[in-house]
Amino acid sequence: MNQLTYDLRVIWACARKEIKSAFTERIGTILGIVLPVNFLVLFSLFALNGGLAPTAVVMADTGPLAQQFYQAMARAHSFRLQIAGAQPAQALLQTGKIVAVVTIPANFDSSLEAGQPVQLGVQINNLNTDFTNDIRRAVPLSISSFYAQAFPRLVNVTADEHDLWPQDTDYIPYLTVSILVIALMMGGLLQSGTASAGEWEKATIKELLLSPASRWAIMVGKMLGSFLMGLMSTTLVLAVLVLVVGVWPLHWAEVIGFSLLTLLIFTAYGTLLGTVLKQRQAFIALAFATSLPLFFISGAFGPVSFAHIPLIEFLAKIFPVYYAIVLQQHAFHGFDLNTLGVGMNVLVLLGYALILIILAAIALRRTTVSS
Amino acid sequence: MTTSIFRVIWAIYRKDLAVWWRNRVSLAASILPVLGFLVVQAVGASSVGTSPVALVTLDSGSAGQQMQQIIHSADVFRLTDATPEQAQTLLHDLRVAAVITIPLDFTQRVQAHDPAPLEVTLNNLNLDFANDIRRAVPDSITQYYAAQGSASPIKVTIHETDLRHQDIQFFQFSVLPMLVLLLILNGLVTSGIAAAREWESRTVKEMLLAPIPGEAVILGKVLAGFTVTFLLGLLILAMGAALDWTRPVGVEWLTTILIIALVAFMGTGLGVTVGAALQHIQPVTGLSINVAFYLFFLAGGIGVLAFEPDWLQTVAVFNPLAYGVHALQMAVFYSSTDQLGLDVLVLSLSSLAALGLGALSMRRGIAG
Repeated sequence: MNQLTYDLRVIWACARKEIKSAFTERIGTILGIVLPVNFLVLFSLFALNGGLAPTAVVMADTGPLAQQFYQAMARAHSFRLQIAGAQPAQALLQTGKIVAVVTIPANFDSSLEAGQPVQLGVQINNLNTDFTNDIRRAVPLSISSFYAQAFPRLVNVTADEHDLWPQDTDYIPYLTVSILVIALMMGGLLQSGTASAGEWEKATIKELLLSPASRWAIMVGKMLGSFLMGLMSTTLVLAVLVLVVGVWPLHWAEVIGFSLLTLLIFTAYGTLLGTVLKQRQAFIALAFATSLPLFFISGAFGPVSFAHIPLIEFLAKIFPVYYAIVLQQHAFHGFDLNTLGVGMNVLVLLGYALILIILAAIALRRTTVSS
Repeated sequence: MTTSIFRVIWAIYRKDLAVWWRNRVSLAASILPVLGFLVVQAVGASSVGTSPVALVTLDSGSAGQQMQQIIHSADVFRLTDATPEQAQTLLHDLRVAAVITIPLDFTQRVQAHDPAPLEVTLNNLNLDFANDIRRAVPDSITQYYAAQGSASPIKVTIHETDLRHQDIQFFQFSVLPMLVLLLILNGLVTSGIAAAREWESRTVKEMLLAPIPGEAVILGKVLAGFTVTFLLGLLILAMGAALDWTRPVGVEWLTTILIIALVAFMGTGLGVTVGAALQHIQPVTGLSINVAFYLFFLAGGIGVLAFEPDWLQTVAVFNPLAYGVHALQMAVFYSSTDQLGLDVLVLSLSSLAALGLGALSMRRGIAG
């Protein structure tokens, strides 16, 4: 039997062994497969309130101009509005059910018709600046759009908006695509890393290392097994994103290709970390806990370059998560979130995959020598 | 007899702590990501809430210059003054989210009372950035008119009243929910794995054969897990205080530490429950991460629970972490005891229930 055939047999045997081992720990495997979907669902809760601040409007004046002002607020893309009396509105604000109370005073119509100043009462539950600043900016937006409608001749300075994209992409469709990458990362990492570290904890690695099989073949086989297991969670998370969340990709082939490439990278990375750390507890703590910082720095919420912070940009570009998010946003929405182009982003990810596979193999060889 | 039980508890407590302490990689893995997150938050804080925009001023007339000045001082953008060509390059290279152009004839149109639009070219790839710009441009226009005083045609002004004496930055606000997440996660994972390892490495046999009461074993393990998690919580709190992000005042230090202890206790109790029930590290880890994340996000995550959908608020009523986050935010940011009694009661009962479940699970595991 020539060497290549033998190595292929070793790879296949190691891959089968990985899959069989995974299925012996059924609860762990099911949880590992479901975990990426959980990430997708739970991180999506970030976007649930959609940036709309729950706000009560006290309409002390119900005249036509007051009504027009209310409509301007409703069109401001900033509020979840409800009309309330003064006292119920206060109660809602005090109990933290709403973020602001806007009071349209009783003299609103009469003052404006007479060209007199009129003051809107704006009470804000300034819990954090995210919501508070939205309110502080959205009320002026409502005022200017109200004037544009009600007194177009009086206020001639307006904003003439030209959008680069034919339609806005909402929070959930944008964010969930970024979350998909984090889910793929966790799926790949956990599947491969726990399997690799487990071999050392249970000392079963000895049998593999004592066999005449090549270290490369063992490593590739282990990765292949974890990759195939990871495919299950990838399929599941994609199905949930497309069929349940309803984010339909523009380029299906890209979605599948980039997902497989991302899974490959993190399968290799998990194998490397598991081999180096040799302990599942340490590996899992590290893998899981790095996911949150990575999520925040890698452009999950928008292009990293918008931050204008060189350190953040530098850190983001060190990790493959950034490039994977750029590619998936292209696949789903057609966006180009950096200037490298799709081809170069793919090449960067392929480079990561290759380097990580080589490093994982080297780690296994070096460990063998030092053990 | 009592002395002997305490010696057993102390021995198991020391053994579990020693195992944790000797495992330097685990130690680093617990602390470094927290540090990493805090650094990321600190560095990223300056860009939150203001969008990057290029401003092209083609008009050198009085109104154009005034508008340029107001846009600069409005504190709603991170501005770069640019020529039209530079602005297009910045937009193309994703260095800015929008280009605002004050047109050449702006002053002329304003003085002639003709429509004088500011041209806004917007990269609307994401509603978050797009709506920030859509709110900020009218804000600047309103400020432009407000600068005209009584001559302003806009007669509607705003009288703002804030419910709280200070604004809390969003990144500061998110530190406390993250602290709670790390407490519950570390409690679950550390204690869960410590318990499961006894079965996986079969050291549980030695404990079973030893003439020691089961309760002492359980208590020793819970206390060890609690100590590790509690210390991690204190470390994060101390870092937050050192950076002046989350610094309680006076007696609120005690309240804050009490809440951290209760959440750590609950996490540890749940960890022992899961570890003793599943008895294998891999499923324990998977389940622990799932449970911690569900509890965290269903308590509102880093958002404001009151502003989340009704169904989530209803779920959060039954989630002890929501009470933990609320109590910490009230104590640290607002020096308030609002609903503190309820928060402490729910957390205490949950911790006791978790501890009870842990003891039951451990006892069943040992008996089996």
